[in-house]
Amino acid sequence: MTEFEQQLARALERREPPAGFTSRVLAEASRQRPVRSRWSAWRWTLALRAAPVMAALLVVAGGALYQNHERIERGEAAKQQLLLAVRIAGAKLHDAQQRVVSIGEIRGAGIEEEQ
Amino acid sequence: MRTLLIWGLAAAFVLPAWALDNNIKMPVNLDRLAARATESVDVTLDASTLELASKFLSKDDPDQAQVKNLVSKLKGVYVRSFEFDKEGQYSLNDVESIRQQLKTPEWSRIVGVKSLKGENSEVYLQKNGSKIGGLFVIDAEPKELTIVHIDGPIDPEELSQLGGHMGIPNIGRSGKHENVKGAAKSGNKDQE
Repeated sequence: MTEFEQQLARALERREPPAGFTSRVLAEASRQRPVRSRWSAWRWTLALRAAPVMAALLVVAGGALYQNHERIERGEAAKQQLLLAVRIAGAKLHDAQQRVVSIGEIRGAGIEEEQ
Repeated sequence: MRTLLIWGLAAAFVLPAWALDNNIKMPVNLDRLAARATESVDVTLDASTLELASKFLSKDDPDQAQVKNLVSKLKGVYVRSFEFDKEGQYSLNDVESIRQQLKTPEWSRIVGVKSLKGENSEVYLQKNGSKIGGLFVIDAEPKELTIVHIDGPIDPEELSQLGGHMGIPNIGRSGKHENVKGAAKSGNKDQE
């Protein structure tokens, strides 16, 4: 066995823990557990209580956004329809007006020729 | 009690007459024309839809601001327009039922033009006291039929002021076009 192997064997050889190690670890663990579990429980309770509220808020916000989006779409469509209707109404009134004016012009020209 | 009864009877007689006069029914056969038409427009805007549409009209755009002002008092705007690829696709009987509805003391025909070319225009105004309570236009051309009903106080002068804007041709005193910014039916028909 080489020097290095001997050092390795010494380093890895099994050693018993010092006396009272187990009890000290258990005592420490039991001392800290109540604090950690109380905090954890409080966090879980808070999360469980907040979850439905958050879900409800999300649903309400989503619904409001969707309604607003729908309203904008309906409004834009109605606006386009209104502009189209006004265009057609104006053009048709114009056509009627032009026909009346052209009849007046034809009659006027006829009277001038007669004179 | 007696007064209440009298008012009730009065309402029973007056209200249906009022409703009839203000709600001109578009004939069902007009909808059938859409099947034969190459292009058709069907615009039905009641008071609530007009109010909604009006909110979306821009105040900064002069044309839209003018329309906003124009429609602020209206109760409804209804347009049916059909364009056909050949003549004889509709008969004047198709609009006869509308004409019959307009033969009431409230409505008076202010323009009635019949031409040999088959281009006929009729404009009716609804009297509401000393004011105009509505406007009806029937425009029948060989390949086109348009019916416009504007329900509510409107000044046709205001509407004609839009001439030269929004694709509505402008007409001068001589009857010649002064400023035409595109045709009135410039490709918006497919919005239906």
